[in-house]
This record gives sequence, structure tokens and C-alpha cells, in this order.
Amino acid sequence: MDVQYEHLTKKFGAVTALDDFTLHVPDGDFLVLLGPSGCGKTTALRCLAGLEKPTSGIIRIGGKVVNRLQPRDRDVALVFQSYALYPQMTVGNNIMYPLRIRHIPKEERLRMAHDVARRLEIDALFDRRPNQLSGGQRQRVALARAIVRNPNVFLMDEPLSNLDARLRVNMRAELKHLQKTLGTTTVYVTHDQAEAMTMADRIAVMRDGRLEQVGTPDEIYFSPETVYVAGFVGSPAMNLLNVRVDSASRALVGDGFSLSATSVLEAHAVDETKHYILGVRPEHLTLSLEAHPGSIAGAVYAVEPMGNETLVYVKVGQSTLVARADAMLRAAVNTPCWLEIREDRLLLFDAETERRVPRR
Amino acid sequence: MDTRRFEWSNIIGTAIKYAVLLLIMVIVLFPIYWMVITSFKGRLELTTYPPTLFPKNIILDNYRDAFSDSDIPRYMLNSVIVVGVSTLISLFFGTLAGYSLARFAFTPTFKRQISFWILSTRMIPPIVTIIPIFLIYRNLQLLNTYAGMIIVYVGFTLPFTTWMMRAFVREVPVDLEEAAMVDGDTRLTALLRIVLPLTAPGLVATAIFSLILVWNEFLFALILTTTSATITLPVGISGFVSQFEVLWGQMSAVGTVAIIPILIFTLAVQRYLVRGLTLGAVK
Amino acid sequence: MASLTTAPIEQPTDERNPPWYQRLGTDYLPFLLLAPAVITLLALTVYPFLYSVYISFFRFRGGRPDTFIGLDNYARLLQDPHFWESIRTLLLYAALSVTLEFVLGTALALFFTGHFPLRGLWRSLMIVPMMLTPVVIGVIWRLMYDPNFGITAYALRSIGLAPIEWLSKGNWAFVAVVLVDVWNWTPFMFLLILAGLESLPVEPFEAARMDGASRFQIFKDHMLPMLAPTMLVALLVRSMDVLRIFDQIFIMTSGGPGSATEVTSLYLYKTAFKFFDMGYAAAGLFVLLILITILSRIYIRFLGTGEEG
Repeated sequence: MDVQYEHLTKKFGAVTALDDFTLHVPDGDFLVLLGPSGCGKTTALRCLAGLEKPTSGIIRIGGKVVNRLQPRDRDVALVFQSYALYPQMTVGNNIMYPLRIRHIPKEERLRMAHDVARRLEIDALFDRRPNQLSGGQRQRVALARAIVRNPNVFLMDEPLSNLDARLRVNMRAELKHLQKTLGTTTVYVTHDQAEAMTMADRIAVMRDGRLEQVGTPDEIYFSPETVYVAGFVGSPAMNLLNVRVDSASRALVGDGFSLSATSVLEAHAVDETKHYILGVRPEHLTLSLEAHPGSIAGAVYAVEPMGNETLVYVKVGQSTLVARADAMLRAAVNTPCWLEIREDRLLLFDAETERRVPRR
Repeated sequence: MDTRRFEWSNIIGTAIKYAVLLLIMVIVLFPIYWMVITSFKGRLELTTYPPTLFPKNIILDNYRDAFSDSDIPRYMLNSVIVVGVSTLISLFFGTLAGYSLARFAFTPTFKRQISFWILSTRMIPPIVTIIPIFLIYRNLQLLNTYAGMIIVYVGFTLPFTTWMMRAFVREVPVDLEEAAMVDGDTRLTALLRIVLPLTAPGLVATAIFSLILVWNEFLFALILTTTSATITLPVGISGFVSQFEVLWGQMSAVGTVAIIPILIFTLAVQRYLVRGLTLGAVK
Repeated sequence: MASLTTAPIEQPTDERNPPWYQRLGTDYLPFLLLAPAVITLLALTVYPFLYSVYISFFRFRGGRPDTFIGLDNYARLLQDPHFWESIRTLLLYAALSVTLEFVLGTALALFFTGHFPLRGLWRSLMIVPMMLTPVVIGVIWRLMYDPNFGITAYALRSIGLAPIEWLSKGNWAFVAVVLVDVWNWTPFMFLLILAGLESLPVEPFEAARMDGASRFQIFKDHMLPMLAPTMLVALLVRSMDVLRIFDQIFIMTSGGPGSATEVTSLYLYKTAFKFFDMGYAAAGLFVLLILITILSRIYIRFLGTGEEG
């Protein structure tokens, strides 16, 4: 079933958690609501679940308006950040609980529960209690409880954030695989942009209760529409520099550098009087210890060997840029260096509106 | 949107809630209120029927009679002395013991035994020890003495103060004492300078709870003291009741005065109440 | 040349085994700190208890132990209908009071979750009854129960019923004292269970809503089981206390009329201090203690599991 938010607004007293939020989630999609805490993503999820009542706006599931429906009648399942397992019940009873509520006979319940448990590899824990399980195991039980009902929509509220780093990475792949296998529409909330990038079919970036941008991970990564989205996704974050246009020299001029950018200036409608923000990702900067024409000059500020690559922080004027460099590269602080930018990967944002400058 | 229907049932629900709330409040407080206003009624008004819900004339005769013609003030003094001193001692012993139990790793069985034992002394009805203590006191000439009552009351409150202080000490992170000891403190000075100030609110709450406990104590006082020089207030009140069957006014006056400290103390510790009464089992 | 041997030679101290007085502050400190409390309690509970057992083997005359009669007191006790009736009265009193307090307290707690204005003030006022001096409580209710001038008489008359002689008619007296106990302690149960309720995590309940449970199912499947530990504590703590009842009953009825409200503590009090039959009373106390110890052992095991130290 598809999900549709139409102009959803939710206020808690004086605080506006969601502001005119409109979003469509096609059937079968894995949609991630991405944003920092307080951006409204969890509120949007809970409104969809029926745990919060919107102040105004409409929510549809499968085309049907569900605003007046109680959670139990919406046929959605929610996986909580804290798993919310029933402490007084065994794993098996936890999983079977939604089935018991629906008066499914015991034989059937057991069969369904064991099926799901086996699929998530927790069948051996069927008779244990939640307090005897590890975090990863509890999370699978929460998942099992959600899956066993075969709902129309899965809702997940940062289910991986309480797991340790290694387990989190493993679970990302498993969750994605699971969703593809089941084909159920999923709305997934997280503040972790790596999770969003790796798992989502589409990402909806949110900020202060509003939708910043929605698109595929590629679209979000390579074509961010606002400075906020550009800076939020990608680690290390995109380099952002204040620049102005100098049409005489066909260059973008910033603090401590002048970058020749002929094709960029031709492709975009720019104005010499305006301020712009230049955005370029660390992997699109090439670091060199020798001067190149057309490069930006700077000095090494810090070097972080990561094993598979080295991150180099370069001071250009007052700003600090990050570049990805070869794994073996080492340089002393204050060594002069040069950064070459791939012009086709250069992004230009209007400094005032913070939106990307459209192409001509 | 169905918001309007929701609001209606909400309003009725809330109204019922408040009504029940009020009713319970009245039931809970009315008897106390009744005693207090009775203390202010004159003899005539006391015997009129139907009884008045609010005194027509507020008279202080009862207070005057009850306090000037009797030994009640002396009883109050006795209570204050006995209760005050015993609480201080109990707090002192209990804090030391509680600290010891909280910080030191005795063998688990030892700890369990001691804890059980301290807890179980609270469960023994006072009546069980009263007879032997009476006989012992009689032999030791401790009847009708402040010292005798103080000793008994220390024993009375000690399980409680130990238990409470142990819980409060446990809440103070050990790191602070360890840092102090690294800096040069001994265990004892660390206890004094670091732990105690941090448990101050708990200390006060425990003290007040103990105060209330022994202020109200009746049986031991009844048996171990018989002279007006040493009788505590509850005993004095009961004597009043048996002697002066129908002097409701004066009895109410004495009762009202007796509970004033309690009311003050209760309001002071109500935050710790649930914890104190269940010996920390529920916070 | 100065001789090195003129200075007195210091005795070598064995650093690994300092003498006991140097170890006071370190190794023995835990026990030293415990000592005052433990000694006091030993002196005031264990020793009197042993002494009490000792005198239970004696017959008393003139308020002093007189002749050794072995187990005669206990034999007499087993045959004594008054004693066992007092036990029965005590247990009945305890069962009735605690049950009523528990049911009412739980109902109130469930009714009053959530916020409402003046909540703090309300809570503070609710706890007053249980802190009051029991003797004064006895006075208050004697006042209220008086068939001539009491407020209860007035209330009954105004709805057309004859006033009840609460404290002077056998069965009514029992009911009357139970009611006082309920008035006294229901707020305690209420506050305790309310505290437990409010410490429950919210999410399992939301999960239950998502799973489709009705309000009744949420109550039965989740709220009650999760509340069970708190309820247990409430029941046990209150039960422990109720068996020690003495003060209010003493003031209100002195155990009467007849022996309708004569709980064990009152019966033994009279035996010891009105009839001065202390040996016999000591025997009775011993039996009472055994009963209570059996009960408390069970209680401790429950309470102790949450408090292990």
C-alpha cells in the first residue's frame, strides 16, 4: 500500500513539530525520514502510526484517509527505538501477541511465530524472556513481532541506534534484504545519514518540521537542492565556501583563492552582485604537493590516516577544506599544498536562499 | 475532524475525575478537621444537636483549660526531649552502620544476614520485647527515666535509620570518596566532608521520619513511664481519654496541638515518603 | 668521630602485619562502624527476647518471677480460648483491612494517573492520615463515633437511620476499628501503587496499542503484570505493619466490647500489666512471634530480592 501525507501539521502547544508536511511513499518503497533530533521525523512517523493526532492535514494509506482510525485499525506495525518488548512475556508470546489479539487459533499462531523467528534466526530464543537477551536479539524480536502480522506498512523508529557499531552495520544489510523480500512499504526514521544512504529507495530530508528534499540516495548525494541537504549527507561533509563571481576573469573568487570556472559560469545563471556558496565533496578534490594551474593553494592543517584512505584538512584563507587522498599520503602540518576541483562536480548555491542555482 | 466529540467526553471525564478527587479529599481530611473545630467549640455548643459544621463562636477555653490545669505542657516537654535526643543518637549510629553496609564488601552471606536481621527487627511487634524490657528496666532502675526511654527509642528507630542511610549513601558515587582519599583523606574524614553533605537531604528526611515514628510511639511509653515527670504526650492524651470521658473539647484541643508538629514534618518530607515507608523498595 | 650507635635504634615495624591497634582505621573499620548499631540492637532485641523466653518458664507472683514451671505456661496457652480468639481477631482484622486498603488504593491509583492541577498539594494532604499519632487517631474517631454527639450519628439520622453505637456493640466495634484502619492507610496504598504505575515505561503500552489490544486487554495483559511487583511490595509492607496494631484500638475500645476487638497485642498487654501474669504473657508473646516470623520469612524473601545488599 502506498502512504500519503497531505499538508500535515502537528503542534504541541506553542511548538510546531510538523509544518505543512506533504510526502508520497509509493507502494513497496523503503523511504527514510532523515534529519537531526527535533526535525519532526518521529512525529511524522507517530502520526502515521496513529499514536499522535495531527493538528491539521490528512494521512492516507492505500488511498484511504486514516486520520480517524485507531492504530489497531490501520494495519501498520511499528518497531520502536527501544524495542518495547513486553517484559512479562517470553519471546514467543511477544511475537504471538498481535496474533492473539486477532483471535488467531493457537496452532496457527505458533506456526506463524516460529516461521518468522526462524527467518530472523531467533527461533532458539523462543522461550526466553526479554531481559535475558542481548540488544541485537531484542531488536530481532521487535522486528519479528512487527512482521508476523504481515501489515500493510512497516514503521521503524531508529531501530538500529541502540546497537553497537558493528551490529548496526550488519543489520543494515539484513533489514534492507528483508524489506525487499517482503515487499512491504516501509517508512524508516533515522538521524544517521549512512543508514539512510545505504538502505533507502528514497530519502526525505527534514528540518524543523519541514521537508527539505526528497529523492533517491543518488539524487540527494549528487544533486542536493539546499545547502542544508548538501552538508547533512556525506561524511566527511561537503566543503562549503563563500564565493563571488568575477565575470572578467571567469572565476569564482573566495577568501584566499580564485578558481577558474569557465564551464560552471556558462552553465548557470549567475549574477556578479550576489554572494554564492560553492560546494564540493572531499572525494572530488585532488590534493597535490606541487602547484598546478587552476588549483587552489593552501596549507596542510591536519592529516587523518583512515587505513583505506587519508583525509587531509587544508587551510585556505580562513576556511578549512577536507580532501580525500591516497592512503599512503603523509604530510607535515603547514606543508604547502594545492587542491584541484573537478568542475563537473562543483555545486553552486545562492548564499541568501541557500538553494542550488538552477542550470540555464 | 472528530475533535469536537472527543472534547465532550473529555470534559465529562475530567469533571468526574475532579468530583471524585474532591470527595476523597473530604473523606481524608474531614476527621481531622472535625477534631480541630471541636477544640474551638464552647461547652454549650459541644452538646447541641445537630452538631455544627463550623463553630458559631470560636472559643479558646478548651485550650486554656487543657493546658493550664493539667500536666500536658510537661508531657510535651518530655516528648520533645526524649524524641529529640534519641533521634540524634539513632541518626548517628544508623549513618555509621548504613555507610558501612553501603561501601564495604563484606562476604555476601554476612551482608545478607545483617540486612535481614536489621530489617526483621522492624517487623517484630513491640509488644514482644516490652515485657522483658520492663523487667530489666525495673531491675536497673531505668523506669520513669529519660535515659530509659531514649535507649528504647534508639533501638526503635535504628533499623529504619540504618536502612535509609544505606540507601542514601549508595546514591553518592564512590568516585568522590576515592578521589578524596587519593588527595589525602582517610575513610572517616571522607565520610564526614564528602559523603555527609551530599546525603544531607536524605539525612534530614530520615531524621524527620524517625522523629515522627517516635513522637507517635505509645506502647513503650505507656509501660515504661508512669510519672508525669516522664510521660510522653501520647500517653498523656490516653490518660486524658480514660479519665475525662466527656471532655471532648479539651481532648480535641490537646489532640490538635499534638499533631501540629506531625503536620509540619509531613509536609517537609513528602517527597521521600514512598521511599521511606517501603524501606526503599519503591522509589 | 661521631658514633652511629649512640642514637637509639628504632624497632623495625613489620609493614605487612601491623599491630591490631594500627589496623583499626583500615581493616576493622567496617565492623567498627557497624558496632554501635549492632550492639544497641542486640541489647534491645535479642537479649530481651532471650530473657522473655526464659521468664516464660516461670510463674509470676507479685510481678516477679516466682517458681519454675517448665512448659506449663505453654500448655495452658494451647488450651486458652481467649488467646486463640485474639489471634483470630488479629488475623481477621489484618486480612480485612489490608484487602480493603489494597483494592481501594489500586482503584484510586488507576483512576488518577496523569496530571491535574494541584497534584502536588493533593498528594501532600493525602499522606497526612498515616503520619498522625495513632493515639490521636483513636481520639478523633472516638469523637466521630459517639452515638450522641458524634458526626456519624448525625449523618445516619439525617438519612433516616438510627445511630449505631459503633464502639459499644460487639460486631459494630470490629467494623468500626477496621474502618479507621482503612481510612488511615488507604492513602498509603494509593500513593505506593501510583508511584509504581508512573515508573512503568510508556513504550510497551504503545506497542500494545499498535498490536491492536483493546483498553481492557492492555490493562489485563500488560498493566497488571508490570504492576505486580509494586503491588506485592505494597501488600507485604502493609501486612507487616498491620499485625502490630495496638494504639488506636486501645484508645477506641480497649479491646471491647467484651473481646470483640481484642487483638493479640491487647490481650497480652492486659495479661502482663493488668493481671501481672507476665510469665504466661511471655509465653503468649513467644507463640505470637513464631507466627509472625514464619510470615516475615516469606515476606523478606520477596522484598529482599529487590533490595539485595
